Amino acid sequence: MAAPASEFRPGGSGDVAAAGAVAGGPGRSGAAGPGSPVVLRAGLKKYVLPPDYSGVTLPERTKLKFMDKVPAVPKVRREPRRLRDIRGPSGEATEFTQGQYGILALGGGYLHWGHFEMMRLTIGRCMDPKTMFAVWRVPAPYKPITRKSLGHRMGGGKGPIDHYVTAVKSGRLVVEVGGRCEFGEVKHFLARVAGKLPFPAAAVSRDTLQRMREEEEEKQLNNQNPWTFERIATANMLGMRKYLSPYDLRFKGRYWGKFFLQHRV
Amino acid sequence: MAALSGGGPWRRGWLPALQVVRHASKAVTRHWKAMHFQRQKLMAVTEYLAPKPPIPEQCLPPKKEVVEEEDGYVRLLRRQVAEAFRDNRMIVVCQYNPMPNEDMLLMRHYLRKHNIEVKFFLNEIVRPVLSQSKYKNLLPLFVGRNIVLVSPETKAKEMLRVLRGVPQINLLGACIDDTILSKKGVENFAKLPSLEASQGQTVGALALLPSQTCSLLQRGPVRLAALLDEYIRQLQAGASPSQSSEAH
Repeated sequence: MAAPASEFRPGGSGDVAAAGAVAGGPGRSGAAGPGSPVVLRAGLKKYVLPPDYSGVTLPERTKLKFMDKVPAVPKVRREPRRLRDIRGPSGEATEFTQGQYGILALGGGYLHWGHFEMMRLTIGRCMDPKTMFAVWRVPAPYKPITRKSLGHRMGGGKGPIDHYVTAVKSGRLVVEVGGRCEFGEVKHFLARVAGKLPFPAAAVSRDTLQRMREEEEEKQLNNQNPWTFERIATANMLGMRKYLSPYDLRFKGRYWGKFFLQHRV
Repeated sequence: MAALSGGGPWRRGWLPALQVVRHASKAVTRHWKAMHFQRQKLMAVTEYLAPKPPIPEQCLPPKKEVVEEEDGYVRLLRRQVAEAFRDNRMIVVCQYNPMPNEDMLLMRHYLRKHNIEVKFFLNEIVRPVLSQSKYKNLLPLFVGRNIVLVSPETKAKEMLRVLRGVPQINLLGACIDDTILSKKGVENFAKLPSLEASQGQTVGALALLPSQTCSLLQRGPVRLAALLDEYIRQLQAGASPSQSSEAH
C-alpha cells in the first residue's frame, strides 16, 4: 500500500528528446483555478534537453549513391580467386569518418550488386533525406567472378566473367549514416539491413563501437586463463604450429577462414 | 608420404617441415571448415575465463546506482514546498485515493471558499525538504499517495465538514501553528470555540473577580443599611400599633 513515489516514475529519458514541457506536468500543485480537472500522478518527469546538432552539416546528396554492376572499364583479364581478401581483420574503413552510425561487418564476405541495391533502396526508404545522410564505405564491385556454364564437365579452361563483387573483411564499416538523428531512430532499419547481408553484421554507433573495443581490451586484461592462443602459438608450445597456419600468429585464434569468432579473446 | 616443403630452419618465418594435410579444402571456405582435433583442443584450452569475485554478486546486497543530478525543476519544487510550509499556519496531510474528477473539483471549490488550498507534492521532493527543516516528525506521513491542504487561517471545522463529504480523502495528520495533531487532535481542535469566543470567555473569567470587588466592598455598609432599615421598620411598626391603640 505504502509505495514510494519513485516506483511510479515513468521510463527514464529515452533517446528521443522530449521537446517542451508536458502541460500540467505531474508534481506541480494544482494552482489552475476552476479550469480542467488535472489528475496528478506520482513520479517526477526529468526534462532532457534536446540534442545539439549545431555542428552537423548535411552533404548535397544525402541518399546513397547508385553503385554500378560492372565497373566503368570492365576487366578483360580473368583474376584468380584470391580468397585472402576475405580472410582476417580489415585494415581499411574501420573507423567512422562522416557519420555517427553505421553497419559493421563481423565476418568476411563478398557483396554483389543485389546487396548494394537492397541496401540503397532500404536505407533510402527508411531514412529522412532532409535530416539524415548516408554514405558508402565500400567501393563499387571491382573483383570479377567467373562462372562456368551449367552442366559441363570439368576442364576447358577458366570460365568467363559472370559478375563483379566487393570483398569485405571483418571489422569494416559498410555504410555510414549521420545527420540530425539519434541512434534509436536509425538502428531499426540498420539492423534489418545488417541481417540481410551475406556475412554477420551489426548496427553500431560511435559510442557502441568504442565500448565494444574497450570491452575486448578489458577481456584481454582480466582473462583468468593463463593459456592464451597467442602465447601458445608464438612459443610453439607442444609443437602446435604443426596444426596452425602462419596466419594464426597474426589472427591469434579470433579468425577462422572468413569467420570472426567474437567470443574468443 | 608427407611432402616436404622447401627451405631450411635458417629462413625467417619458417614453416613446419611436415605439412599435415595434403588434399583438403582451401583455407577460406564458405562453410565452417572442420578444424584438426589438436587445433580444437587448443581452442578449448585457450577459452576466455571471466573473473569470479570471492563472494558471488547474488549473495551481496544489490548496489543501488546513485544518480545525483541537481535539476532546476527539482529545485523549484523544493522551494515551493518550503514556501508552503513557511507561509501557512495550518498544514493538513491527507491520504488521497482516486476519485472522480468532478468530486475533486467540487471539494477544491468548497475548500477554496474557506481559503484552504489543495497542494500535490511528490514524496521524493517533500521528504528531503522536511528532513532538513523543523518538521522532521511529519516524515512518516509522506509515504504513499497523499495531498496537502494548506491555509493561512485555521478553519478546522469547515475543513472537516468538507472532508466528511468526500470519503476518498482521509485525514492523516496536521500541523497547526507548529503543533502536530493527529486526526482526533484535529477534531478536538475543531470543537474548540473560536478565538473571539474564547477571548471573551477569558476576559469574562478575568473580569469576574474585579466585578465582585465593588459588591464585596459595599457588603458591609449595605448590610448595615439593611439592618438599620429593618430596625426603623420595626420601630415604625412598634410605634404605629401603639399610635393606633392610643387613637382607639
